[in-house]
Amino acid sequence: MNGHDKSATPLLRLTDVNTYYGQIHILQDVNLEVYPGELVCLLGGNASGKSTTLKTILGLVTPASGTVEFAGEEVQHRSTSYRIERGMAVVPENRRIFADMSVDENLQMGAYLRNDKAEIEQDRERVLELFPRLRERLNQLGGTLSGGEQQMLAMGRALMSRPRLILMDEPSMGLAPLLVEQNFQIIREINEQGTTIFMVEQNANMALSIADRGYVLQTGRIVLEDVAENLLQNEQLRKAYLGR
Amino acid sequence: MTEQRIGTDEWVEQHEARLATQSELRELVYGFGEQLPLWGRLGLLLLIGLFVPVLTSNPFHIRIAATIALMATLGVGLNVVVGYAGLLDLGFVAFYGIGAYAYAYLSSDFTGVHLPTLLTIPLITVLGAVVGFLLGLPSLRLVGDYLAIVTLAFGQIFVQLMTSLTRVDLSWVPFLTTDGPVNLTRGPNGIIELDSISIFGFVADTLTENYIIRLVVLILVLLFVHHLNNSRLGRAWRAMREDELAAEAMGMPTRLLKLQAFAIGAAIAALAGTLFAAEQKAVFPANFDVTLLITLYGVVVLGGLGSLPGVLLGAVIMIAVPEILRDIELASLLFYVGSVVALIGLIKPRRLVGLLLLNVAIIGLLVQVIAESIWPDSLAELPSVASVFPEFSVSIRFVTAIIDSLPEIVTSIVRNWLAIPVGNQELIGNIALAILIVLILIASRIKQTTQLLITLVPTMYLLALVWEIRLSGQESVTRLIFVGVVLIVLMIYRPHGLLGTQRIEIV
Repeated sequence: MNGHDKSATPLLRLTDVNTYYGQIHILQDVNLEVYPGELVCLLGGNASGKSTTLKTILGLVTPASGTVEFAGEEVQHRSTSYRIERGMAVVPENRRIFADMSVDENLQMGAYLRNDKAEIEQDRERVLELFPRLRERLNQLGGTLSGGEQQMLAMGRALMSRPRLILMDEPSMGLAPLLVEQNFQIIREINEQGTTIFMVEQNANMALSIADRGYVLQTGRIVLEDVAENLLQNEQLRKAYLGR
Repeated sequence: MTEQRIGTDEWVEQHEARLATQSELRELVYGFGEQLPLWGRLGLLLLIGLFVPVLTSNPFHIRIAATIALMATLGVGLNVVVGYAGLLDLGFVAFYGIGAYAYAYLSSDFTGVHLPTLLTIPLITVLGAVVGFLLGLPSLRLVGDYLAIVTLAFGQIFVQLMTSLTRVDLSWVPFLTTDGPVNLTRGPNGIIELDSISIFGFVADTLTENYIIRLVVLILVLLFVHHLNNSRLGRAWRAMREDELAAEAMGMPTRLLKLQAFAIGAAIAALAGTLFAAEQKAVFPANFDVTLLITLYGVVVLGGLGSLPGVLLGAVIMIAVPEILRDIELASLLFYVGSVVALIGLIKPRRLVGLLLLNVAIIGLLVQVIAESIWPDSLAELPSVASVFPEFSVSIRFVTAIIDSLPEIVTSIVRNWLAIPVGNQELIGNIALAILIVLILIASRIKQTTQLLITLVPTMYLLALVWEIRLSGQESVTRLIFVGVVLIVLMIYRPHGLLGTQRIEIV
């Protein structure tokens, strides 16, 4: 899954993006590209601007300058719901599933902007095949699921919009090591079935083991960009994030 | 015991069972309700509602039923805004007022406009929705407490405007010739002599006719909101209430969703306003004060946010209970029964309650004997218990007579048991109240059962004394205290309301 065509249009492209929270300059001239079919991860420590990058892509934050292109179209001034409609989906940090709604309803919420009933049913079936655990708990309230199950539900919910690009914010956060590994296998599987994935992660080792390419963000700047294998070998990165 | 499933801990496993034990009442209502289709449930409601004027011709009772129907309609509207969309709107009553005043302008001699009801009601409902939408716009960026403060101010502005727009200079309006300032609202005097509702020549003049119209409107509104809740819009509201950011990330247009909730809630409120104005045949600014807002929130919160049967139950309790409490003897009975029920809830093991009550009874008799020997003639002369008993006749009437006079009998027994002084009732009552408060504070700190029982004996005695000589005579105050206490106790034991579901929080 490494040979993307550089001549193709990137599915997602950020060009010279600058984002502020009030007076504080968070993202500084961020450039990044994600090509169709890729699994790209964005690495970085605390307060490096990872989540802000994701929020900028989604439109929860508007950049002060620079462009966000999605599928060849500039979307930086478009609403979140427009971008979702165009094919983005998100697995938010801490899952953020709807606690008082059943697993099934949570999945339906993922397909909120779709009208094609028959195909929604198909996708629901596909998600339940991918996560058999969710099928067992279809009528249980989301808030009563365990952490790992909630992560599955969040991913399933994202898949329900039949997205072209899934944005993942820290999928390993707060999960037991065994579950993290299991989850990353599923992420890999989703990617292999053809969905492009852009993942923000602190667990660099784990993320790079399944990713095609990676970017490293430090205090709001992209400081490193390479294919995953090279990043895993990178001395600097190993010292900073891999802890050995 | 079944083997635990992988990935679930004990807490998750027992979730269903816990829910069941926590909401037996909810199960009872919903378990029964689920066996009936929607039209069956609404039909049943209509039938019960129509039965009221058949059962009683007492205008007081029909007035209560009519108020309940109106409050329930308003509660259903508020439930859309607060229960479904999770917006703490404290200006809701203003939309009710706008509906009422709009009706006054469109159907009275004040403006000289007399539109047919079939035109005014849809017109005002749409007007309510538009005003709700427009007033939602500036509130969009506000959340939680801030939204509450701004909307509360809006509600007050409405009342102030209606009170003070009595001398408005309209000379700047083109094509309008006025001589001097114009009185737009007649201020606190209100707009009077409004038309009655008339549909196809049927004029709703009497209270009963208005009550039936309110009942029908309530059922239509319930039908509408029920379908709304089960629609895509309803699900989106719930998702937004749960987690706004996540809802937005699913592509839900949260701003629009909030405005829709505001607009629909306001439309229902305005509709209720027309019914109110048409029955009262007048509107006054004081009709739309904070008291009504508090009652309405009581209705919605008591029943359980987000639950439609809850709103109905809440309306019945919030409106009917204070009315029942107007009858002093009945209020006393409720007070004593409530106190004993509270004791049963407070004291474990429960058999100690019997011991406690026995001790309280003995203490009461002792106090009376001592008081009588020290200050003879200073105790109030009371009718004997036997004199209030109904005459004995062995028939079915005996049973109903007992039930009818039960409040009287209980009050009379308690009054005979207490040593009630003749003079200085106010002073003695106040001292007793002060001691009572101290005792309750002490009792609330005690953990050990024996000490608690010892403290509760004088507490219960003083409670009865304070009630009899200080509170039971002032029904207007007592009613409110009573409702307040009921609400507080209920919210402690069922924070999610009578028929609401317990919220699950992800930490």
